[in-house]
Amino acid sequence: MGTLGNPRDYLILTNNPLVRQCMEGRGHYTIRFEPERSFREILVEARDLVYAGRTLYTHPLAGSVKPNETPYKSLIVSMEPHGFDEQHAELMANAIAVFDKFKPIVRELPERVLRDFQLIDYTLLCGAIGFDAAAGLSK
Amino acid sequence: MKLELGYIQIKDIQFSKECKVENGTLYVDPDAVKAYLYEDDDVKAWVKDFGFDIAKPGESVRITPVKDVIEPRVKVEGPGGVFPGVISKVETVGSGKTHVLRGMAVVTAGKIVGFQEGIIDMSGPGADYTPFSKLINLVVVAEPNEGYQDHKHEYEHAVRIAGLRAATYIGELGRSVTPDETAEFETYGIKEGIEKLPNLPRVAYVHMLQSQGLLHDTYVYGVDAKRSLTTIINPTETMDGAIISGNCVSACDKNTTYHHQNNPVVANLFAAHGKTLNYVCNIITNENVYLADKQRSSDWTSKLCRLLDLDGALVSQEGFGNPDTDLIMNCKKIELQGVKTVIITDEYAGQDGKSQSLADADPLADAVVTGGNANEVIILPKMDKVIGTLDYVDVIAGGHAGSLREDGTIEAELQVITGATNEMGFNRLSAR
Amino acid sequence: MSFKVVHYINQFFAGIGGEEMAHVAPELKEGIVGPGDAFNKAWKGEAEIVKTIVCGDSYFAEHEADAKKQVMDWVKAEKPDMFIAGPAFNAGRYGYACATIACAVQEELGIPVLTGMYEENPGADLKNKVLIVATSNSAAGMRKAAPAMAKLALKIMKGEKIGASAEEGYMPNGIRRNFFEKEVGAKRAVDMLVAKLNDKPYTTEYPMPSFDRVAPNKAIKDLSKATIALCTSGGIVPKGNPDHIESSSASHYGEYNIAGVDDLTAETYETAHGGYDPVYANADADRVLPVDILREMEKEGKIGKLHNLFYTTVGNGTSVANAKGFAAEYAQKLLKAGVHAVIMTST
Repeated sequence: MGTLGNPRDYLILTNNPLVRQCMEGRGHYTIRFEPERSFREILVEARDLVYAGRTLYTHPLAGSVKPNETPYKSLIVSMEPHGFDEQHAELMANAIAVFDKFKPIVRELPERVLRDFQLIDYTLLCGAIGFDAAAGLSK
Repeated sequence: MKLELGYIQIKDIQFSKECKVENGTLYVDPDAVKAYLYEDDDVKAWVKDFGFDIAKPGESVRITPVKDVIEPRVKVEGPGGVFPGVISKVETVGSGKTHVLRGMAVVTAGKIVGFQEGIIDMSGPGADYTPFSKLINLVVVAEPNEGYQDHKHEYEHAVRIAGLRAATYIGELGRSVTPDETAEFETYGIKEGIEKLPNLPRVAYVHMLQSQGLLHDTYVYGVDAKRSLTTIINPTETMDGAIISGNCVSACDKNTTYHHQNNPVVANLFAAHGKTLNYVCNIITNENVYLADKQRSSDWTSKLCRLLDLDGALVSQEGFGNPDTDLIMNCKKIELQGVKTVIITDEYAGQDGKSQSLADADPLADAVVTGGNANEVIILPKMDKVIGTLDYVDVIAGGHAGSLREDGTIEAELQVITGATNEMGFNRLSAR
Repeated sequence: MSFKVVHYINQFFAGIGGEEMAHVAPELKEGIVGPGDAFNKAWKGEAEIVKTIVCGDSYFAEHEADAKKQVMDWVKAEKPDMFIAGPAFNAGRYGYACATIACAVQEELGIPVLTGMYEENPGADLKNKVLIVATSNSAAGMRKAAPAMAKLALKIMKGEKIGASAEEGYMPNGIRRNFFEKEVGAKRAVDMLVAKLNDKPYTTEYPMPSFDRVAPNKAIKDLSKATIALCTSGGIVPKGNPDHIESSSASHYGEYNIAGVDDLTAETYETAHGGYDPVYANADADRVLPVDILREMEKEGKIGKLHNLFYTTVGNGTSVANAKGFAAEYAQKLLKAGVHAVIMTST
């Protein structure tokens, strides 16, 4: 679903190359692709924007893949500040607390696993805003 | 609506040249099942081959990676057929008579994504944590066709359908078998219920469905739950497979199709129905990623609770993180309608048990049942036989590099075990 | 060979007397005194109380440091396998003494400890630091409390894995542990709901983290006329820590005058806090208590005035009850002084 929001107000924060590859130029949203940022750094960036009054559109802990498993995170905040929202701020703060309680896993992930993590993150994002995931992949 | 379940106790499964249920033994011909699976075009398109195996309680067997667990059932009287909207026509189920092949399950296994998880140990310490170690399992291992890497959606769908078809085929074998035991389940219309049970508190079950996206979906009569508004369903409909699992992530707290068919909240509310409470209906609601969806769905849930004049509601959850927010929103809004709630969840309190268990919290959530801490570490000894593959153990949730040791033991968090911390309250595991 | 246990009890349970004898100083006795008998019986020779320390409740409260030192010296000399205090039931000062001394033995001597008391006993504030078995609120509960404590104590001495609080009978201590219940979760949930619907007591299996939300005051309309005070839990004190604020579990707060101080320097201020790396705070205490910036704002006219007193304590492990007590006290002083707003810094 997620059809109510105005896509022009969507700022997609992501470190997932598949999101850029599949979604860039296919809607009125803005993609801020930051491959150098970690999962946690994306959360922190979003938190700071939400603290500064941006609206949070998607849940920061989308998906049951645990935050210490996948390196990828995409979420959506508003382009424009619409005013501070206490609930959104709390969601972001809690998400970072959740991230921190998981024991870091140090390992090299094979390319095929990375691709699957990208795919899951991408499809969760698509599901949230009603973007046709399959169409994006066929691009 | 009234449904009669006829339980046929399965005490053994044997491969055979013919398919039948006789004296509690299921005889099954893998080739016949396979042929039935391949009658589906999607299965034909995406699945290269199926392997079949049998795993029995107490055996030194590990099944992994598990996708779904399904109980074979067959509709013998009344409208509709099992898994409506997916296998059978979309006609409403939940009345008449259904036969259940109890004591067994169809387990689908095999790789889908590179971090595919889910372990069922049939013996040893891991077996204590999964309810499926107590069943005789007919395991169907799927092997993908070339090119599935770029079509995970389609492949996941094909394996999901294959599992349901296999269960349907097996269930059909119980159609003309006389059940060992029968039980009736009936809920009433609103007015009828008030007249019949005037002094009992009115209670509904708020059943939260995983609905976030690929490998995180649930289907109701074939409809993707994330595209549905919160709605009402008769508890008996779920017993005929109206709700099926498309969820493959977070093995410990995902609800398999078996969980939906044998929903323990439904079972225990029925046990109390007419005695200490009036079980009105189930309310199904989703766990979407988009925050406005959460708001809408939880508003709707509490609205229905009020509209039904409920006194109490029992809320169950599925999954980790994001659904905590839905759980707390539901609980809070229902309580604010003056309806008393109890919620069932599980915990991620860290390996040392010292962290905050949930991603969200509210003082109105003052009655919580927990399925345990999913981060607790467990050592699973080597098993003599592996059905599926251990290729993914090093990457699954709660595992870590080297978690598959050279001697074959696995050190991992409870997260990896299918159904270990189920949030419908299927198990005895808890935490304090 | 059986395990050696040292037992701590108060004057009442030692049979010396009630409140009128609460002043007695610590005394070391051979073997068991009073309730220790119940422990010894439960252990059936596997463990044994070798020494009993008796101390008056008033004495402990009024001479805590001395009493603690004396008890610790005796325990250290005895090198027991375990130290048990109480049970104290609902006796407040006794409970406080039991939990405090057990905590000290555990932390400073590394000896396993166990105590027991009623949930509302003030000593139970330390339940996240020491294992406390929950007892009834009167000594009549000894018959239930002693075996429960003895059983758990023996498990600890044997190095066995400790189960969840609900199984072992200790107060939830912030560490979540798994265990198998008798009934499945859904059955427990339905039972809980029926109890809740009938206004019968029930116990949640996961208490929500405690919420202590304070509604914010109205915004200050004109900062340029406001008096602002600085307060901190970051332990900033004048060099030398003149009031000896503890580096952890602070028992008091400090009030210091900064009239005429424009900048906190390494020569004049430092931190007493033991819970973070003090290097940067000691080099420039303004990093924790921003006197320099507030002075600038004062000069620029952005704020009316910086209050000439600041209040400080160490937040490290300080109990919520203590912290609340400090703030309630100095908030009144701030109000009297006509302070309009406070900037509270943490670390």
